[in-house]
Amino acid sequence: MIAAFGLLVGVVVGLVLQPDVPLWLQPYLPIAIVAALDALFGALRAMLDGIFDERVFVVSFLANTVVAALIVFLGDQLGVGSQLTTAVVVVLGIRIFANVAAIRRSLFRA
Amino acid sequence: MSEDRTDQPSRQRWNRPDASMSLLADLMSGALDPGYAQHASRGGEAASRRFSRPAVLLTAVVVVGLLFSTAVIKQRRDEPLADRHRQDLIAQVEAGTQETDRLQRRLAVLRRQTAQARAARLDRSREGRQTRERLEDLALLAGDTPVTGPGLRITVDDAASGASAGAVGDGAAADEGTAADGTQVLDRDLQQLVNALWAAGADAIAVDGQRLTSMTAIRAAGDAILVDYRPVSPPYVVSAVGDPETLEVRFADSRAGRLFRTLESAFGVRFDVEREDRMRLPGASSLTLHYAREVRQR
Repeated sequence: MIAAFGLLVGVVVGLVLQPDVPLWLQPYLPIAIVAALDALFGALRAMLDGIFDERVFVVSFLANTVVAALIVFLGDQLGVGSQLTTAVVVVLGIRIFANVAAIRRSLFRA
Repeated sequence: MSEDRTDQPSRQRWNRPDASMSLLADLMSGALDPGYAQHASRGGEAASRRFSRPAVLLTAVVVVGLLFSTAVIKQRRDEPLADRHRQDLIAQVEAGTQETDRLQRRLAVLRRQTAQARAARLDRSREGRQTRERLEDLALLAGDTPVTGPGLRITVDDAASGASAGAVGDGAAADEGTAADGTQVLDRDLQQLVNALWAAGADAIAVDGQRLTSMTAIRAAGDAILVDYRPVSPPYVVSAVGDPETLEVRFADSRAGRLFRTLESAFGVRFDVEREDRMRLPGASSLTLHYAREVRQR
């Protein structure tokens, strides 16, 4: 559908353009990736449960990414950057796992 | 999934036996953004179709895709860079080591020249010649100059791994930590060996070609033994210049001699003592002058 198509377009554009990530943004790229993955899997699960809503997806994706980057930035200022990064990655990872487990249950039962 | 954990009144939640697990439980149960469920209960697709624009969703997913591919590209691009940095660092370390070696050789040459010049100057007077002889004796004992002569060569090596650990025969052996497989010679063992050789009357001692001075430390760093801050690896060859017969007899009687014989028989540690007619021990690589001061008696 339109979302999958948009994802593919984004990936292809990135591969073709090969944009340079500015240096000040580079520490936050990994955390943004994990937050995006979390929002993505949440959306997938909602889709399989039949309760997907685009607005919620967009807001959750933006909020996750920005909040995660903010936490890491705050941590950098306070000197606990790497520890907070680990904490954020752990939490988001747990959520990803929970969502993937639910997706698996939906896929293989339905 | 179920939201009933977060919907329970807080008092009830804290009375549950697994209340301390609430963080993990919330993480797992709240993994799906509650916004989806709220939206579905409020009217679902009909409501959303009225207010949403497909462009927003499209932009969001395009950005997500862009993020992923950018991260992958950056990762691929950075790998050869990191590798090149590492190679550069390795090359720098090797260049530094070569420079150090070159400077050490030059240092040895200069020291020889200094010694020759000093000897020539001192030889001009009788007092000077006596001073020179005394200086040479002291330099030999301090480890400054190379020395040639008969003595003992003792080789110790770790036990081959798999050697069975027999019964501990001597109380001294129980002091040394023994590994379950392949008993290793420790820095303490080498220290005792060297001290026993000094006590037996050795004039000069070198471990694996490193001349020992009064300030040389034999210590362990991790698994390796450092002599004068230089790592030495097994087998350890300890060369002692002195009267071979006296050295051997007195060393065999010493505590260290008994210790090593016990280590050899009980743990398979290699311990060979050989007399040598002619050995050459190099001088110490660096010697710092310290001046002793008399301690005032109160």
